[in-house]
Amino acid sequence: MPMLELRVNGRDYRVLVEPTTTLLEVLREKLLIISPKVGCNTGDCGTCSVLLEDKLVRSCITVALVAQGKEVTTVEGLAAPGELHPLQKAFHEHYGSQCGFCTPGMLLAAKALLDENPNPTEDEVKEAIAGNLCRCTGYVKIIESIRAAAAEMATAKA
Amino acid sequence: MAQAEFYRPANLDEACALLTQYGAKAKVIAGGTDLMVAVNRKRLSPEVLIYIGDCGLNYVKMVGDQLVIGAFTTHTELAKSSLVMEKAPLLAEAVGQIGSRAIRNMGTIGGNLVTASPAADGAAALMALDAELKLVSQNGERVFRVESFFTGPGETVRQAHELIKEIIIPPQAAGSKHGWYKLGQRKADVCGAVSAAIVVEMQNGTCRKARIVLGAVAPTPLLAQAAGSKLQGKALDHTVIAEAAQAAANATAPIDDWRATAWYRQRASGAIVKRLLEQISV
Amino acid sequence: MALKVVGTRQKRYDGLAHVTGETRFVDDVFVPGTLAVKVLRSPIVKGRVKNLDTTAAERLAGVAGVITPADVPVNGYGLIPDQPVLAESIRYKGEPIAAVAAVDEDTALEALDLIHVDIDAQEAVFDPLEAMKPDAPRVRPEGNILMFGERNFRQVVLGDIEAGFKEADHVIEGEYFHPALEHAQLEPQTSLAVPEANGKLTIYTVSQALYFHLGMLAGILHMKPDDLRCVCKWAGRTRSSWRGSIGLSDIKYVGGTVGGGFGGKNDIHADHVTAILALKTGRPVKWRWTREEELLYSTYRGAWIIKIKDGVRNDGRMVARQVESIRDAGAYTSMNSYVVDKHCFLVNGPYHVPNIYIKGYCVYTNKPPSSSMRGFGVTPATFATEVQMDKIAEAVGLSPWEVRFINAVRNGDQTATRRKLDSVYLIETMQTLAKRAGVVLPEKLQAMTSAERGA
Repeated sequence: MPMLELRVNGRDYRVLVEPTTTLLEVLREKLLIISPKVGCNTGDCGTCSVLLEDKLVRSCITVALVAQGKEVTTVEGLAAPGELHPLQKAFHEHYGSQCGFCTPGMLLAAKALLDENPNPTEDEVKEAIAGNLCRCTGYVKIIESIRAAAAEMATAKA
Repeated sequence: MAQAEFYRPANLDEACALLTQYGAKAKVIAGGTDLMVAVNRKRLSPEVLIYIGDCGLNYVKMVGDQLVIGAFTTHTELAKSSLVMEKAPLLAEAVGQIGSRAIRNMGTIGGNLVTASPAADGAAALMALDAELKLVSQNGERVFRVESFFTGPGETVRQAHELIKEIIIPPQAAGSKHGWYKLGQRKADVCGAVSAAIVVEMQNGTCRKARIVLGAVAPTPLLAQAAGSKLQGKALDHTVIAEAAQAAANATAPIDDWRATAWYRQRASGAIVKRLLEQISV
Repeated sequence: MALKVVGTRQKRYDGLAHVTGETRFVDDVFVPGTLAVKVLRSPIVKGRVKNLDTTAAERLAGVAGVITPADVPVNGYGLIPDQPVLAESIRYKGEPIAAVAAVDEDTALEALDLIHVDIDAQEAVFDPLEAMKPDAPRVRPEGNILMFGERNFRQVVLGDIEAGFKEADHVIEGEYFHPALEHAQLEPQTSLAVPEANGKLTIYTVSQALYFHLGMLAGILHMKPDDLRCVCKWAGRTRSSWRGSIGLSDIKYVGGTVGGGFGGKNDIHADHVTAILALKTGRPVKWRWTREEELLYSTYRGAWIIKIKDGVRNDGRMVARQVESIRDAGAYTSMNSYVVDKHCFLVNGPYHVPNIYIKGYCVYTNKPPSSSMRGFGVTPATFATEVQMDKIAEAVGLSPWEVRFINAVRNGDQTATRRKLDSVYLIETMQTLAKRAGVVLPEKLQAMTSAERGA
């Protein structure tokens, strides 16, 4: 069984995996990092979204061994322990999360967007989260949350 | 259950050697966005996986006047490449609408072709651009026009020991215009019910050449040659456009499935071609 | 007394855990040694299992246990307990026949392939209108239409419908079809059952209706609900007293964190299978449905056919409303009897009509059982009645606003089920709505209130 070495949220890990083991399975079942969820397991819903080298990917259809030597970020790694990333704070304060099942993936889709475009328009936010399904909010509060976080991050920078 | 094997060749030669060794037992993996869906749905359990991410197939470059794209280039990279946007904007537009961001970050143009989905957005665009693709193996290289690469749904001329190395897009004539449209139930993460990629070469108000390609309306992406011929040597007026659109619809051989009925696909094909040609003619 | 919470915006009590990824849904609970479950689903739409042989599956390395209908203590559940946990009489394609617990999903799937099952196929019926015909194939032995007491429909009567139509200047008819709809919540049906060292069984559930399911599960496992203990942080909010108190006993039911439900988790989908497999194997057992199973076989909002006939006077007042609705229940009752009840009680909408006659049928077909979804039959009713209100407006030449204002329920009015209303603010709500939508209402409507009608 091949050995996979990867870095998750700033920590190095070594795990034995099967060739077809997915990154999602490694995170959840081997590392017990539970924020990425199994929503569809076919790359359709976005609940398993993580950042691989800062790029948004579906961990459920990412072969774990492809992440060899790479850096993975999940919601657990967005902020230092006890602190909140502006996106986490905004989702909490602007009701961007209801049942919470899509929230980790949605936060990472938002993080990937803001990393590349710190001041997105409403349409740009919609495009960026189009692959992440939410069944509770109707998306309005999520879009508000992401734009609120962007505004806060801009203020903090200024 | 047999233990599967995973290989990570460091270059193209190693990859070809592995493919010669394992042949049909091996599955080549690039982004994995199609392959792993099949694995997760228990429809595929590959014995050997060969990951080609380290084989130097990630590039977009000019070779002479041709635009050459490595098979491992992701949709995101293509959609954002200034070279692709300049030399083949149709391709940038089409692959920019594949899946959603997370899928485009992993999925590659080679994967889009080798999967041979009749709805493959990259394939339709490349056919309209009259592109070629190069297969490589230990026996050497073979080059195919993209439209002759596909032989059926999920089927291509690629042999088990071969790998797509790169895609070659010829220079587009001055005055070339393009159109792209994907019709699906939603914008993201959707496999088109009908898609259309069109390249029209205009000169002094008349069409010199046109390539009209329709996706998801036949066993392979469909080059509607009769429709293209209707435009040749003519100005794109309403009558000519209507004739070409009708010819495009007539060329389709769609199926009924949960995405759309054959009836709808055929009508939508005509409507989409008409709309795109009207936009191009302006 | 000053109010601390009312009138202020409150953050979600579970919001911080959601945004930090700390919330644990059922699938996020890991217990060492947990077995994976896969279920053998019928490839046949309707028929009878003639022969079921699980010997080879049980012998497969890695398989810890296989259950068949013979392993289910009481093989029926639902509001009317007509749905088997594992079926011998197959009534829809995909109906569970047997279940396997194995070391992993792949082994469980391999075991399913080793189960030998023969099913005598029988004729099926899919269309509720066909199913209602006397000579239709029987979905179930009791007949294809649910009995509400002595009638095969739920009936709601107010006033005298014939007299109402006589009073009418216009009769406006409409027929509406609402298709089946899947909840598509993001968390699939998941259940983890853990036999504890002290002899109790802990079940981590996605249930939206914890105490209700506890009673149902106790019924399936043949234990009295009074013997059961339920531990749930938030259960106090959903607790109903429908079967008396819940005491200490054998099941510890852990729930309260639901990754979306929308009515799709009002029925037991997985807890019964994991419970029985855990009891049989003595091992922790987890069953997570695939998205494909979720879309094909979980409950959903069944389709509705709603026929409405309204009697309206020239001045726009409704004087008679007659409704005949048909609910496609699929193969089992699940919550459909209540869905039809609530539909019939509320299909009249928020309008005051003195003469009402409503008939609601619950019809069985050979499809997966439908059940509750957001409103228990009221949402499709609202779709139909509100389109009907627009038709009335057109027929009598009034604006859609005015027709709704004229007929709106007011304080002191009686509902179709003879409840006298108080605290009604429908007219005021519509006035606010118009204002926010930028619609300028005629003065007559602006002056209206929900005060009791004059005699």
